[in-house]
Amino acid sequence: MTHQSLPFITHIILFGRKLHDAGIDVNPANLIDLSRSLQYIDIASRRDFYAAALATLIINREDMELFTLLFNEYWDALEMPEEPADPEKKTGEGAADSPDTRRQRQRADGENADDGNEDDAESEQTGYSSQELLAQKDIDSMTDEELEQARKIIAELIAILANRRSRRFKPAKSGAQLDFRKIFRRSMPYGEYCLKLAHRTHRLKKNKLILFCDVSGSMERYSRFLIQLICAMGAKISNIEVAVFSTRMTSITPYLNRKDIDEVIKQMSDQVHDWAGGTNIGSCLRELNEQQAHQMLSSHTVAVILSDGWDQGDAGLMRSEMEQLRRRVNKIIWLNPLLGNVNYQPLCKGMQTALPFLDYFLPVHNLESLAEATKLLRTLWH
Amino acid sequence: MFQSIEEIEQKFAAQGYITDRHLATTVYLSTSLGKPLYLEGEPGVGKTEVAKVLAKSLDTELIRLQCYEGLDTNLALYEWNYLRQMLEVRLQEARGVAKDKIGANIFDEQFLLERPLLRAIQHHGKRPVLLIDEIDRSDDEFEAFLLEVLSDFQITIPEVGTIRAEQPPFVVLTSNRTREMHDALKRRCLYHWIDYPTLEKELDIVLTKVPEIKELLSIQVCKFMELLRREDFYKRPGIAETLDWANALLSLGIDELDQHVIETTMSCILKYRQDQEKLAGDNLQKALALTKNFKGGPTVSAQGSIN
Repeated sequence: MTHQSLPFITHIILFGRKLHDAGIDVNPANLIDLSRSLQYIDIASRRDFYAAALATLIINREDMELFTLLFNEYWDALEMPEEPADPEKKTGEGAADSPDTRRQRQRADGENADDGNEDDAESEQTGYSSQELLAQKDIDSMTDEELEQARKIIAELIAILANRRSRRFKPAKSGAQLDFRKIFRRSMPYGEYCLKLAHRTHRLKKNKLILFCDVSGSMERYSRFLIQLICAMGAKISNIEVAVFSTRMTSITPYLNRKDIDEVIKQMSDQVHDWAGGTNIGSCLRELNEQQAHQMLSSHTVAVILSDGWDQGDAGLMRSEMEQLRRRVNKIIWLNPLLGNVNYQPLCKGMQTALPFLDYFLPVHNLESLAEATKLLRTLWH
Repeated sequence: MFQSIEEIEQKFAAQGYITDRHLATTVYLSTSLGKPLYLEGEPGVGKTEVAKVLAKSLDTELIRLQCYEGLDTNLALYEWNYLRQMLEVRLQEARGVAKDKIGANIFDEQFLLERPLLRAIQHHGKRPVLLIDEIDRSDDEFEAFLLEVLSDFQITIPEVGTIRAEQPPFVVLTSNRTREMHDALKRRCLYHWIDYPTLEKELDIVLTKVPEIKELLSIQVCKFMELLRREDFYKRPGIAETLDWANALLSLGIDELDQHVIETTMSCILKYRQDQEKLAGDNLQKALALTKNFKGGPTVSAQGSIN
């Protein structure tokens, strides 16, 4: 039996497999739907079959381009005697060969941006006061008192971020909201007026937390400090994901309970320095979006990004990834140590790209600013 | 029910909704397979309108559930009318009903407040169209609950029992994509992305919805909108904005676009200050020039953009 003469249903299954191999998830129920839809459309009409396949198999707009490409590829190979090919085919092919060109372009951008950014970065760094920098205070050199203070602030910050008020209700002793359902139930035995009012209030629910820390260049010290403190709190925080990034993203959640976490971070950032790479926030965000999509990114997630925003990657990519993150999580908070300097303005490309998508943009250059940020968040949260 | 894809195209057109073959096929499959239709797209491209026109074409009732965060079963499904229940008990007492009979009937359906989902399921007669609008605004809990309702079309009320739909409604869900929905829900539906219309289609829509408009003006309006949508605005104008603008120009008695007209009526199409500022000056003149030079009828494809 030649490939062409297989039963149509087999082709649908093979096509489903092809989509799956290309990274578009298709489940059997969708393939069954497509098969069922064949009785309602004229399968000799490619246009209608394309519409049916798209409607039943695809659930994201992002997959549509790739789908169209694969669709044309698969059914062209079978040479369906047909109406002219889909006009979208052209754009699909364009997308297919783009990764390489995109990468090249990115590299070129990166090199160009390199020189400019470095100069800016240096002038910026001389700008802010060195005395109060967290960076000057490694966790080893802090006094017990300072350490305790820092730990308290971070614990509070996490507690604020990790809780949210549900829109749903739970019974309460008092409050403005009356729970009529309960009032009525309670008054039943007496058959008369209700004797006691019942109240309700919003439930508290837990958020998921994602900590996304820049470990390139000067940012490494800040990130290490924050991660060390979070590790010190250890098991108290559930549902937290910590990742460090520079040119690539690495999840360090599995190492959080290890004693040598300091060493782990150092190794990672050393690796980065060896590559002499700058920060590529866009592609790291893409890794985050891809890897964490199902476990951690939901409407109950708070994403905290710790970075100075010096991005040497593709601004367009960063923008689209920030947009995706924005859609997926509840809140995005950007902590930037440079913001501690009164003269600082978020003018660099990366920060400019990110700003429209942020809920809060806060400084973290020393303990006071961290405490201030915590206080601010407590009043604004919910 | 529809018999063919062409029938949908015709009936939708009769209601003033210009559709394309792709959307018509998806709607047809949705009604034939009995699967919910999941429409996604930018605001103002006519997602909600599909449900309204579908209901009209089928000559049936449209039941609408507008979603928002915190929407729960009491507001989406049913609620007992507590005040009436209390009054009923008091009345029965006043009438001297025997003690053990008092309150026996308070979980009757007459004390049940029907909310949209229950109404769609209890509906008698022709299958209604259930529009679940802006599902992306609801929260996870509601999404999970909806999954259950949409798969079985039955609802359990503890005091009454299980209510099953005689005939499941036609369901249309719309989303502006302010957040991602769970795959599970989308997989139960037929997915369709509604894009901005092509110039020809938009012209069709304008001429259908604003029949009094002059042809020259309508071509200019659509061409101008097409140019605008290529630019990177915070909020790109949708078809709704095109129609608003066309209506506004018509009521101002304007026959042709010029800079002054656009500047004074810009609020119809761009709703953010930064977007309006972006269009001012050179950009506006460029776009206007391109629009005016666009002599070709609706079939000629456009060339060039503002920048």
